[in-house]
Amino acid sequence: MSDSLEPIIRFDHASFGFPGVIALKDISLSINAGEFVGVIGPNGSGKTTLCRAILGLMAPVEGHLHIFDCACDALRCHHRAKIGYLPQKGVVDRNFPVTVLETVMMGRYGALGLFTRPGAKDRAIAMEALSHVEMDKHKDTALGHLSGGQQQRVFIARALAQQPKVLLLDEPTTGLDMTAQHNVIELIEHLHDELRLTIVLITHDINMIRSRVDRLVLLKTRLFASGPPAEVLKPDILSQVYGKDLVITDKDFIIVEDYHHHH
Amino acid sequence: MIELFTYDFMQRSLLAAAMVGGLCSVVGVFVVLRGLAFVGAGTAHAAFAGVALGYLMGWPPLVLAIIFGLATVWITGWVEEKGRMKLDVSIGILYTTTMALAILFIGLMKTYNAEVYGYLFGSVLSVTSDELRIIGGLSVLVLGLIVLFSKELYFIAFDQEMAEASGVPARRIFFLLLTLVALTVVVSLKTVGAILVFAMILIPASTAYQLTSSLRTLTLYSIVIGVTTAVAGVVISATWDVPSGPAIVLLATTVFFISVLFSPKRMKRAVQVHAH
Ligand SMILES: Nc1ncnc2c1ncn2[C@@H]1O[C@H](COP(=O)(O)OP(=O)(O)OP(=O)(O)O)[C@@H](O)[C@H]1O
Ligand SMILES: [Mg+2]
Repeated sequence: MSDSLEPIIRFDHASFGFPGVIALKDISLSINAGEFVGVIGPNGSGKTTLCRAILGLMAPVEGHLHIFDCACDALRCHHRAKIGYLPQKGVVDRNFPVTVLETVMMGRYGALGLFTRPGAKDRAIAMEALSHVEMDKHKDTALGHLSGGQQQRVFIARALAQQPKVLLLDEPTTGLDMTAQHNVIELIEHLHDELRLTIVLITHDINMIRSRVDRLVLLKTRLFASGPPAEVLKPDILSQVYGKDLVITDKDFIIVEDYHHHH
Repeated sequence: MIELFTYDFMQRSLLAAAMVGGLCSVVGVFVVLRGLAFVGAGTAHAAFAGVALGYLMGWPPLVLAIIFGLATVWITGWVEEKGRMKLDVSIGILYTTTMALAILFIGLMKTYNAEVYGYLFGSVLSVTSDELRIIGGLSVLVLGLIVLFSKELYFIAFDQEMAEASGVPARRIFFLLLTLVALTVVVSLKTVGAILVFAMILIPASTAYQLTSSLRTLTLYSIVIGVTTAVAGVVISATWDVPSGPAIVLLATTVFFISVLFSPKRMKRAVQVHAH
């Protein structure tokens, strides 16, 4: 459906790494405006590295990366401001003195640039972002007093307050209970539909996103597959990446078969 | 006691204390939030080594203090950025090295130099009008830069990586913060001394940290506590003839412990524990 649109993120035989480590090798991938892309792959497969690359925090060691028609070694701060990013869950210092609204307002800072103070308009944008995630009632609550799922919503609101073109979400449901996981995924789906945002969603929960994304990208240092979920989620493709114990049940659920059953 | 305030030296030292107290408590907010407490301590000792070298060689001590202080924070920041070493390790090494240098420089001096020790323990009551002007000028500079970049400084204190990712030039702001810490330390050196300046940076902000969950209120409380304890410390020092540095710091520490006892954050936790 979105194939006719122009790509806003384009990897062209790009490799990324750290000293002594190649985290992503020879990636060629285009992401179009308005697309909902799911990224899956085992631990250490380079998913977070893909985010950091898209944000221009790492330059390719080989190949090229274009974002919004801009070669990424020229990626400047104002490009980053157009990408809303939810980092892989770190530890939130529960004592850090910041309220929910103050946290979301930080999403405005990059877009505003230096020397500009946030004003009433930015406050209104932040409040709107909070109402999108249904956290506006909690605007004056200390961030540390919220549950993990509520904090995740606040961080999504901060990303939305950037008024981004792309939303980059690194394992947004990890560490949440089942209801909260479901709610966050529904929220993301809703944001995609409502705001027509391009969404890149990294997750380990294949079953939860398979029916919602336009496209799945399967990574393990290299790009193993990229396409509609039905084409990517095939036993022969998945087993290359996850090993042989992975099975697809008759209800289309992907599970890892218990190793001990063989004995 | 009232007539004390009519003396020129007293007016000078009250003004110096208020400025240093205010400056340290504002910079302290970012130091505490960004987890740079140890950097403040390390910088103070590096700056003191600069002062000692200045007196040894007959060079201007404050200029060398600034050079030593800046070199320390920049090396620390660079090492952290490269991810080669944890911040506390690199600053620990620099801290001990500069302290050893300071002792070496003092040892090389032919005569006992009381002025050098003034920088170690602070002597706010003997602050001169020239020094007051330097303190005033640097305070205005540091506070001006903080006001100018406050939103970026808050953001990197909360989450530097996130700030970088959302389009804030976070690394440059981090180095700005390190520079401001070094300048603040040097400004305060003569007044409170190398040993106690660290307390002046740390305690008001940590006290405020106990009392509020909002960034804005935190800064406000920190300034009020910093200025009040510094001024009150000077008054106590002059009235009862006790050294000014310890008077300020012990007063601030007392306020800190009272705030820990009555911290709303702590109370809330206690209530939650009872409820379970
Ligand atoms: N800061 C770093 N320094 C050195 N190597 C790193 C760094 N960050 C990641 N790597 C390496 O890069 C590779 C990819 O890491 P990455 O974090 O992108 O994986 P991931 O797919 O996000 O894993 P996970 O599912 O555990 O989050 C790994 O081999 C990892 O060891
Ligand atoms: Mg990751």
